[in-house]
Amino acid sequence: MTLKKSPLHEVHVELKASFEEFAGWYMPITYTSGIKEHLAVREKAGVFDVSHMGRIKITGGDDALVFLQKLVPKELSKIGPGSMSGPTAFLNENAGFKDDVMLYNSGSEWYIVCNAVNREKILDWLNKWKTEWGANVGIEDITFDIVMMALQGPSSAELMEKIGLSKALELKMMQFHRNLESSYGKVFLVSRSGWTGEDGFEIWATPEIGAKIFKALVGYGATPAGLAARDTLRLEMGFVLYGHDIDENTTPVEARYWVWTPGKTGYIGYEALREVLKKGVDKIRVGVKMKKKVKAIPRGGDLVTVEGEVIGEVTSGNYSPTMKRGIGMAYVDSRHALIGLEIEANIRGRGYPGKLVDFPILKK
Amino acid sequence: MSEIKVLGEYTILTDRKYLETDEWVKLEGDIAIIGISDYAQKKLKDIVGVEFKEPGTKVKKGDLVAEVESIKSRGEVYAPFNGEIIEVNTRLEEEPDIINSDPYGEGWLVKIKPDNPADYEKLLSPEEYAKTIEEREKS
Repeated sequence: MTLKKSPLHEVHVELKASFEEFAGWYMPITYTSGIKEHLAVREKAGVFDVSHMGRIKITGGDDALVFLQKLVPKELSKIGPGSMSGPTAFLNENAGFKDDVMLYNSGSEWYIVCNAVNREKILDWLNKWKTEWGANVGIEDITFDIVMMALQGPSSAELMEKIGLSKALELKMMQFHRNLESSYGKVFLVSRSGWTGEDGFEIWATPEIGAKIFKALVGYGATPAGLAARDTLRLEMGFVLYGHDIDENTTPVEARYWVWTPGKTGYIGYEALREVLKKGVDKIRVGVKMKKKVKAIPRGGDLVTVEGEVIGEVTSGNYSPTMKRGIGMAYVDSRHALIGLEIEANIRGRGYPGKLVDFPILKK
Repeated sequence: MSEIKVLGEYTILTDRKYLETDEWVKLEGDIAIIGISDYAQKKLKDIVGVEFKEPGTKVKKGDLVAEVESIKSRGEVYAPFNGEIIEVNTRLEEEPDIINSDPYGEGWLVKIKPDNPADYEKLLSPEEYAKTIEEREKS
């Protein structure tokens, strides 16, 4: 299989990125050091190319809303034009995650941002239901036409002004503007959002304008940041990574991932979700924080034990550059999912001390 | 000190031998110093922690002697031959990133006294090791 490359690939080569495969894409992992890039985002600003994220346009006006309402557990009628849904999901009939996604209400059309690894699956899913329901909607994959960048960190707003996008500063979290004029040409969409827990903006543009903006942001002092930093940043916040922390067999309830609106009915997965809510869950997603002196780092697949008794399993873990220790998330059986409980993370058969914590793991 | 540059990126020093698993081994008298290669540290990237087997541990060829944690993955360091661990680089416990900045010098990991020093000769030459990197990068 040939790996897909971002339209901004050449920009990253110029910036001396090192690349690796991620979800079928050949993407920048780091430019200098993942730790430095991570800290730049927490302290100042970093810019990521996230063009691997799937982006799908749903046209059809009211029909688009009706169509999406039947596919996601979040109530969309309250999401006005220029607003995003916040994290929601496509669920399967068992209330497992097809994907976790973000929806954008752009008036007569909606945009979906989905995980790169699920793009084709989600396109198939949308098309299947369109046919099944005879929905009068258009489904268009714009992933390859439009690049997507994330400018993240406390000084993001200043940098937006420098590139002529000061109008974006009026946006609140989870709001967006379409067709803003920047110093480098018109941008397709600018939202105040991200996946790092910091203030920030996501900018969608044509590859040509996007390349100019990416370079300009770096020129004005944003640290180019790769997927390694993106992973450690999201982990500190307790944000899930599809395929590791959630999948088709995980429900939003055990993931404690609040992607549904209580009281909403009639969407795919609703009946199953309701059953889960009534019955309760056997395992729960919680954070794991290692003791500071522990050098070993928990990773996906490592077992969580108490007094040697297995109580759960780590689904993703890494080093926290901010907290300077190993952190992770784990599914722990619900009788042991106690915040503050001292546990051992079993790393290569040896137990290392840590404790269960709530999200975000990094308290700011 | 002479060196080989593989694919214009990875440095291999010619004063020592290597393992296919990316360790380097340098003999000083009857003591072997072991670390990880420039290629390995570049693949692991930011190294954030190191754990060692205790000094005094008897090891067999292929036994785990240290583990190197990076923000990308967990690297395992194996004994190149049978022997005894006589020292570990405890400085790395506080400053593990030295492995990134100086993998062939200050970033050494463990010292082993080999049962049979002649085993050293069986390890990969710098040229042979360079070839294994080229092979891996090709695929």
